[in-house]
Amino acid sequence: MTRKTLASIPAAILSFVIYLFYTGSLGLFDVITGAIVAVIIGLLVGNIVVENPGKALSIRRGFLMLIYIIWYFLVAETKAHIDVIKRALHPKMPLNPAIIKVPYNVSTDYAMTLIANSITNTPGTVVVDLDYENKYFFVHWLDAKTSDPLKAREIISSKFEEFAKKIFD
Amino acid sequence: MINEILVYVGEALVLIGVFCDIAASIGMLRFPNFYTRMHAATVGTIGGAVVPLIGVALMALGCDWLGTYRFFLAGASIVAGILIMLLAPVGTHVLALAAHRAGLAPKKPLVFDHLEEERARRND
Repeated sequence: MTRKTLASIPAAILSFVIYLFYTGSLGLFDVITGAIVAVIIGLLVGNIVVENPGKALSIRRGFLMLIYIIWYFLVAETKAHIDVIKRALHPKMPLNPAIIKVPYNVSTDYAMTLIANSITNTPGTVVVDLDYENKYFFVHWLDAKTSDPLKAREIISSKFEEFAKKIFD
Repeated sequence: MINEILVYVGEALVLIGVFCDIAASIGMLRFPNFYTRMHAATVGTIGGAVVPLIGVALMALGCDWLGTYRFFLAGASIVAGILIMLLAPVGTHVLALAAHRAGLAPKKPLVFDHLEEERARRND
C-alpha cells in the first residue's frame, strides 16, 4: 500500500465517525451512505491533511488528545472564565492589558494550531500575530503579570505546549 | 434514574451558559477598548455557546420520549460544539490581527506592546 492510500485512512475514519455522530443512528442506510462519503472525502483530502499516517492512526496520541480535552475544559477553561467574569463584574474593573511575545518550541503546523487555539479559547489571552522564523506568538493578555517572555510562557502556554508536543510532534 | 441525572446535569450546564452569556455581555459593554472586549466575547463563545450545547446533548440523551431523535439531537449538538471550538478562535485571531495592523482600534490601557516594537524593528 502506498503512502497516499494510507494517508486517506485516518481522514476517512474521522469523517465516518463525524457522519455517524451527526446523523445519530446506526441504521443500514446511514452506515452505507456514511461509508461512501467517508471514502470519497478520505481520497480527496487525505493527502493534504495527513503528513504521517502512522502518527495520525496512533492510539496513544488519540488517548492523550482525549485527556487533554478533558483537562482543558475542567481546569484551564474554568479558571480563565472565573477570572475574566470576576474582572467584568468587579466595580473597579482591574485591567492590566499588554501585548507580549511568548516563545513556543514545536515544529508541526498542527501543534502550533492547537497551542494558538487553546490560548485564544481561554478568556484572558488572545493570540494576535505570530512570527514563524523566531517562533513567537504575540499574545494580548488581559492581566499582564510580567513583561518577561519566558515567565509569560510559563504562566500562559507551558501546559498546552507540553500536551501539543506529545500529541502532534 | 440515569435519565433524570442526565437531564439535571444538562440543565445545570445550560444555566452556567446563561450566566456566562450575561457576564460576557456586561463585560462587552464595560471593557474599555476593542482588544479587551475580545476577551469578553471569548467568554460568550466557550462558556456561553459550547458548554450549553453539551448540556443540550445530555438533556436530549435523557429524554426518553424523544425516541430515536434524541441521538440525532445529541450528536448534532456535540458536533456543533466541536466546530465552534475549532472555528471561533480563527475569527478572533483574524479580527485582532486586522485591528492591530490597521491601527484603528485605540490601544490606550495597554501597558506595553511587543508586537509594535517588533514591527518597528522590521521596518528599520
